[in-house]
Amino acid sequence: MSSRSRTVARSTRSNTLQNGVGAFILQCKRLEFHYCDWAGSSRGMNAFIKSYLPRFAKNHPQIEIVVSPKPRQHPVIVGHFINGKQREVCVKNMKPEGVREQVELLRDASGEKLKRTTKPVTSINESVRGIWSPFHGAKVQI
Amino acid sequence: MKRIRISRCGTQLLAPSAPRRPFCPCTASLQQTCTPHNHRIQRRLQTTAAAFNAADTEELLPPTETVQSIEQQQQPQKQPRRPRKLSLESLPSPHPLRARESVKLAALRSRLSLPQHFPLPTLARTLVHPSADPDPAFNNASLAMLGSNILSYYLSEHLICNYPRLPMAIIFAAHDAYIGPKALATIAGEWGIEAAAEPGGEVDPGLLQFRRLNAGDPLPAELRRRTPHNWNVTTTHRILRSDEFGSAYSGPSSPQQLARKPIPVEEAAQSFVRALVGSLHLHLGRPTTKRFFRDHFLSRHLDLSTLFDFRTPTRDLSRLCAREGFEPPVARLISETGRASRHPVFVVGVYSGRDKLGEGAGSSLDEARFRAAAAALKSWCLYKPLDVTVPSEMEGVEEGDAAGAAARRWRPNMVDCGEVVV
Repeated sequence: MSSRSRTVARSTRSNTLQNGVGAFILQCKRLEFHYCDWAGSSRGMNAFIKSYLPRFAKNHPQIEIVVSPKPRQHPVIVGHFINGKQREVCVKNMKPEGVREQVELLRDASGEKLKRTTKPVTSINESVRGIWSPFHGAKVQI
Repeated sequence: MKRIRISRCGTQLLAPSAPRRPFCPCTASLQQTCTPHNHRIQRRLQTTAAAFNAADTEELLPPTETVQSIEQQQQPQKQPRRPRKLSLESLPSPHPLRARESVKLAALRSRLSLPQHFPLPTLARTLVHPSADPDPAFNNASLAMLGSNILSYYLSEHLICNYPRLPMAIIFAAHDAYIGPKALATIAGEWGIEAAAEPGGEVDPGLLQFRRLNAGDPLPAELRRRTPHNWNVTTTHRILRSDEFGSAYSGPSSPQQLARKPIPVEEAAQSFVRALVGSLHLHLGRPTTKRFFRDHFLSRHLDLSTLFDFRTPTRDLSRLCAREGFEPPVARLISETGRASRHPVFVVGVYSGRDKLGEGAGSSLDEARFRAAAAALKSWCLYKPLDVTVPSEMEGVEEGDAAGAAARRWRPNMVDCGEVVV
């Protein structure tokens, strides 16, 4: 192509991630568990940390897990996500099963703000059928 | 575009198994078993050969007892010399042995689905930019160089074999969109990489280590855009002399030039991604690296047709038809509505003989004609052969390894005669 060629590229285009198309990256990257040894509201949390958490950590090696005491406070789970957001869940007075449900909720979250989805499909790909055009197709005789 | 380098020249970049071994003075000459083919490889060899100085590394001993015991096992004949106890803060980057205890690194390795035998100290080394640690044995400069060559090799063979008619400008733009500096920094962010506020030996090795550029400070001279030698940069010049993105302003030839200089976050993040690909190539081999590239880079969505920007599509199309021996293109009106209204719509098709080459809609006849010609040119340039064998699929066939046995038979790819010169 000579320097006088008329085909030029647009300045900058970026590509977008399709998580799960090639590699899948879990969006939850860190879970912090804060508990209190003394207070009764942490009883379920403490049981969860003792009985469930080792297995959970083994099954999810991609999540960094931090356990730290937070004396005289209600137990809290903090999830940190890839997009930089974080989400805190207070698990006071919960049974270990309830704590586990909250942990799994944080694990499966994307970190985005909760949004109401009104359309059945959201896609970055062009529709296969294309946009309907009044100028094409069979002519309808009225 | 960069020339493709030999693929297995980087074995000397592998991290030594024990980082505090006594060094033989003749190691450097023994390591250079492969003949340097061009000046860049020569430079790389120089970088890695001058890596260690036993006297320097002795001082960097951390006060951990485990390290001292390893030292004593490995140097039984040396006269007992008490290693000076240095604090962790005196190290420029975290000690490699601390990588095995880092939770962040282990999580990162699992998040990227890397196998368990990929060593964590190497992963930690890919996170250390030369601006934090100028020692080439502990920073990622050499790995990043290897990784950038591998990335551009795999991407260019994918683009050129799958889209044989792409113009050179579009290939450059696609390189920039897939593995350009901005794209790599985005990818690092989407892998969950966090940057350390300040590099140092006491920092968690799972954080990106680099010297931060303060807000408002000027970029270092290596990263600043320089005036090119010649303003009339031709495509030939861009292919032969420039980098894989065809940029007129070439950045630093080696990341090592940025040693001890404050840099922006994006620079460090992109060097991490490149270094990770390089270290994957060295530790896990070509098939795994190719799979990693396919999963993390090629799987990203990029619409190549949005990269085109035609200045004179009708003239290009008529030249193309003349070259290919088609009948000259004729634009015909297919349908229209509201010609006298405020919003007319014309649908125009470009025909060569009885074949419709393209179609476009516009609010004036000329606009629709240009759009139709551009659509015809795009459909020509974006032609994709059905069965493609990229060159790297055939690697390892002559060596007869397991990957070679699974490799397909070589079928020559389509080579187009080139883009239209107007």
